[in-house]
Amino acid sequence: MKSHVMPQSRGSWDKLQLVSGGIGKRSGQAESLSHLGAQAVAPETEALQSHSSRRDFLAAGLALPGLRSASVAGLAAEPALQYRTLGRTGLKVTTVGFGCMITSDPSVIQRAADLGINYFDTARVYGRGNNERMVGAVLKSRRKSVILSSKSQARSKQAALADLDASLRELGTDYLDVWCIHDRTRGEEITDELLEAQQIAKKDGKIRFAGVSTHRGQASVIPAALKCGKIDVVISGYNFAMDKDLDPVLESAHQAGLGLVAMKVMAGGFRNASYYPTTNELRSQLKREGALLAALKWAIRNPYIHSSIPSMVDMDQLDENLKAMASPFTEADQKILSARLEQIRPLYCRMCNRCEGTCPKGMPVPDVLRYLTYAEGYGQFALGREKFLELPSEVQKIRCDLCPSCSVSCSFGVKVAERLIRAQELLA
Amino acid sequence: MRLFLLLAVSLSLAAQTPDCSLVPGWGQQGPARTYVADDLFEYMDGNAEGYLIYHFVKMQGVTCQLAGNTIVFDVSEMEDPEAAYGIFAANRDPRIATEKIGMASQIQPRRAVFCKDKYYVELAVNQEKDLSVPLRAFVTAMEKRISGRTALPEAISWFPTDKLVRDSIRLVPESVLGLRLLKRGYIAQYEYGKGFLVAESSPEAAAEVMTKLRARIGQTEPARIADDAFRATDRYLGRLAFFRKGRYIGGFANLAESQNATTLASGLAARIP
Repeated sequence: MKSHVMPQSRGSWDKLQLVSGGIGKRSGQAESLSHLGAQAVAPETEALQSHSSRRDFLAAGLALPGLRSASVAGLAAEPALQYRTLGRTGLKVTTVGFGCMITSDPSVIQRAADLGINYFDTARVYGRGNNERMVGAVLKSRRKSVILSSKSQARSKQAALADLDASLRELGTDYLDVWCIHDRTRGEEITDELLEAQQIAKKDGKIRFAGVSTHRGQASVIPAALKCGKIDVVISGYNFAMDKDLDPVLESAHQAGLGLVAMKVMAGGFRNASYYPTTNELRSQLKREGALLAALKWAIRNPYIHSSIPSMVDMDQLDENLKAMASPFTEADQKILSARLEQIRPLYCRMCNRCEGTCPKGMPVPDVLRYLTYAEGYGQFALGREKFLELPSEVQKIRCDLCPSCSVSCSFGVKVAERLIRAQELLA
Repeated sequence: MRLFLLLAVSLSLAAQTPDCSLVPGWGQQGPARTYVADDLFEYMDGNAEGYLIYHFVKMQGVTCQLAGNTIVFDVSEMEDPEAAYGIFAANRDPRIATEKIGMASQIQPRRAVFCKDKYYVELAVNQEKDLSVPLRAFVTAMEKRISGRTALPEAISWFPTDKLVRDSIRLVPESVLGLRLLKRGYIAQYEYGKGFLVAESSPEAAAEVMTKLRARIGQTEPARIADDAFRATDRYLGRLAFFRKGRYIGGFANLAESQNATTLASGLAARIP
């Protein structure tokens, strides 16, 4: 495990170039200094170009008052970057990468690359190719000094390979560093056909490493990725609101050499709480509380997580996220997240389908709690009621307040009986 | 009265519900789908965020089939017509012309999309086949069922058209130009740079944003455009000119050397009523 916080002082930057140029190599830090690692295909001169680019950027920031205040103000001019090795790929990745999905302006991606973030993730489906086009246009000039990842949701070998060709075309590159089978919930969805597509793509030099992404099927998908022996990287939903049972899975994946990239590290963990009318308001509130940064720090504090790909839409968010690499997860961060978790815990059914106990009367507890979320959380009363009325009539007639005690409980602390009674009051 | 209201609501809901029988011969395969923001990820994990950012409310969908061909037919309700246009513009193929069906549409061999009022409609073919004919039939029929706005958001017409890249105007739902201060607005791509327009709640709010923008950009020069304006050069936004007119903030950025930022921004300001 290589994990370092590297204050990028001007002096250390010069050393970096020295190491990248192959003149000298020190243990530990020196190894982490090459962005591309042992299996890098980038000629060292190109790595140096990238470094020069960043140095030029910093120099420009110092030379141009307008630039300094516009683009560097509020941010340490020389941000600390933290690198880890992305499993068996050997790639050295910044622990904070960049999820490009909802980024509207290419300048944010450009600046992230200037500041040293080196892992960029997109997917064929994002904006129906528009996102790949934007990402490709921004990163084209520094292609070999960044790690580029994309994904395909295709279900057949032929469609996946067609998607890959489209991704390469849109991104303006002839290879991807990581190409993922996108959005799998069960291990068996990593089919032989798709694995074969990845092997063909590797053989053809179109991808360097094969990956899979999973949002909520980690316990099934990660072991399957390990077992098949052909997956190098897993991009996984991972945040502080998730089940701690996932940690041993991540540890075993790390030990076996899988590269692990965390996604949904921030708002995803909150959004399901449903009590915020819009993404913007939610983000704004969480930012005020420092919760977004705390959540990102929480994710990358786990040494088995090699990088993360939070979405970033503006320079402020980028500046904020960079701080996660510079300062450790603290008790203050824990306090913020605990408060947030406590706030959502009694209300927030995670749909994990692991309710403890079952209702002897046949109440489908997670479903009814979800319908309540529609009605209360999203103001979609009609939908909540519509769904409730689709339940068998005998289930609709159950009145939980007539039971002396509830046989169903939630290990996450959802007040099951209370919430069911509320659902029946509202929807029955 | 209550029955009448219920009937009216039901009819209204039915109008926005995708229906395979809209095109003769096609039938529904499997059950209908309904998703809200809370569970959209169950349908499209890995892409749900792209909908949520445009203030997605609800999606209803069906899968239609005919003679071995299947079309996935989804109707998304967004917060307002502007958001519906926003998600349409974000997902259209900018290399292909749009057509005036609803607010705007795009029909390709395997995919069709359109927006009308607060609805964004998508049809996708599962096979490697050109089904543009039935796709067009579905689009035409569904467009008639949805009532409401067919005019594009007014702000789109305010952008000068000279050297404007065709169909390039899009709604940025958060952080226009990558600046959080510019919360939500339109970006238009020109051959020589990009124009933008953001509406604030009031002239006072817009004036406050201008003050913060000046502080953020740093070295600026005053410019004589509308109520207030400045010019500057920024590493990422290049040569730029921003102005305020009433509650609107607009301008140009990333301008080519040959362009006069003040003249261009003045042209945009003049078109804002």
